[in-house]
Amino acid sequence: MSLFEKFEALSQSRRALGFDGPAPLATPFEDIRSATRGMVDGHEVILAGTNNYLGLTFHPNVISAAQAAIADLGSGTTGSRMANGSYASHHALEHEIAEAFGWPSAMVFSTGYQANLGVMSSIVGAGEYLLIDADSHASIYDGCRMSKAETLTFRHNDPENLDRKLSRLGEEAKNTLVVVEGLYSMLGDQPPLQEMVEVKNKHGAWLLVDEAHSFGVFGDKGLGLCEHLGLLDEVDFILGTFSKSLAGIGGFCVSPHRDLELLRLASRPYIFTASPSPGVIAGTREALKLLTGGQALRRQLHRNINRLYEGVAALGYQVGSTTPGPVAALIMKDRESALRHWQSLLDQGVYANLMIPPATPGGLCLLRLSLSAAHTDDDIDAIVGALSVAQSWPAKSAQA
Amino acid sequence: MENIRASVDLAITQALASTLPERADIDRDQPLSTGGGLDSIQVMNLVMEIEDHLDISVPVDLLAEAQTLNELAQKVTDLLESQG
Repeated sequence: MSLFEKFEALSQSRRALGFDGPAPLATPFEDIRSATRGMVDGHEVILAGTNNYLGLTFHPNVISAAQAAIADLGSGTTGSRMANGSYASHHALEHEIAEAFGWPSAMVFSTGYQANLGVMSSIVGAGEYLLIDADSHASIYDGCRMSKAETLTFRHNDPENLDRKLSRLGEEAKNTLVVVEGLYSMLGDQPPLQEMVEVKNKHGAWLLVDEAHSFGVFGDKGLGLCEHLGLLDEVDFILGTFSKSLAGIGGFCVSPHRDLELLRLASRPYIFTASPSPGVIAGTREALKLLTGGQALRRQLHRNINRLYEGVAALGYQVGSTTPGPVAALIMKDRESALRHWQSLLDQGVYANLMIPPATPGGLCLLRLSLSAAHTDDDIDAIVGALSVAQSWPAKSAQA
Repeated sequence: MENIRASVDLAITQALASTLPERADIDRDQPLSTGGGLDSIQVMNLVMEIEDHLDISVPVDLLAEAQTLNELAQKVTDLLESQG
């Protein structure tokens, strides 16, 4: 009897994906050369699965700010925000995030995952409720698990089901935090947020929107779906990450409620971890300036989105979202087809994401593409061209 | 109490028929993840159907505690009883 025996099913699943070539899960990159180019298995590939939506990872302002901060303040803080890890730059970034939203309070977390853990686990407690979309990210589920509140789910993107669940809670709906995402990362679909706001207002519930994949992508200032739909006044908390549009690592929560500050005293994932390093904070502050400072990057991103969505539609693919967005999840007929597509794309110099159950909603097998403002028209055409070839590409094992 | 359990069992049958018709004859005493062969998302979809049939909300924690469909049925029965 081994402690590792319980992982056998997972191990078998991984072996089932095995073939003669780079691993489709946790693919090793030998080098990253730009926001859109990396090296896999000795070949340069177009990066079309890295969530680098604004392509800022190699922006000179971001890099030089991070370099200068490391030189000035050191490589790490070596402590938590509660102890020695609260620098002026952490407070400055929090102030800049809050200011962008026009709200009084923002908190920075060490990762986006921890932002969800930190907020979900502390903002609602015993005798209160979390009501989350069934297709929520694992970090939301894990945050709920850490909370002493009771967690309920509603059907994905279904305001009617949300209404029914809140109705069942009766007066308790006023002690309920409804949690949705601005863009769901697997299928790339967006919630019917206006309808959901109407439902939560009807019941007096609270609303948190996780804009991890929509921050930087939507809205005049790039603040996400809530800004884009004119719903910022209807939201209690917005969560975001630094590891996508902001090209770093970390997360934040911003709120019109000044008392968000109290979470600094109660949120264990905020308190019991080292704070983000000075380089990360400095790079993120520069990226935030670029994100909120103009529309050029977003315009380019949406131009790329439209070009790709048109291309995959012309090839006859079914896409996870009917509304074009930075994620295009191509629905494959089965696991073998998804794997074959992934292999073929890599063979042709395109890196995408292979997504299979149980990580996917509805048991779908997906080839997931994510776009960047740094992609060129030629990049998009190359991705579409590779997909065209992949449709008739035989499995690698069959070629041998 | 027997009536409640019977209505829960019926709701499971109806939920299986609509979400997993090919698994309508699943052994309700088999562990869901191994012998039952259902992944967590299939179980969640099944529970959402059961919720609609019985007009209840099943907490996520309760789901995690149920290893088999019969255990789930008992927990849902207990939940309904506790709600009077």
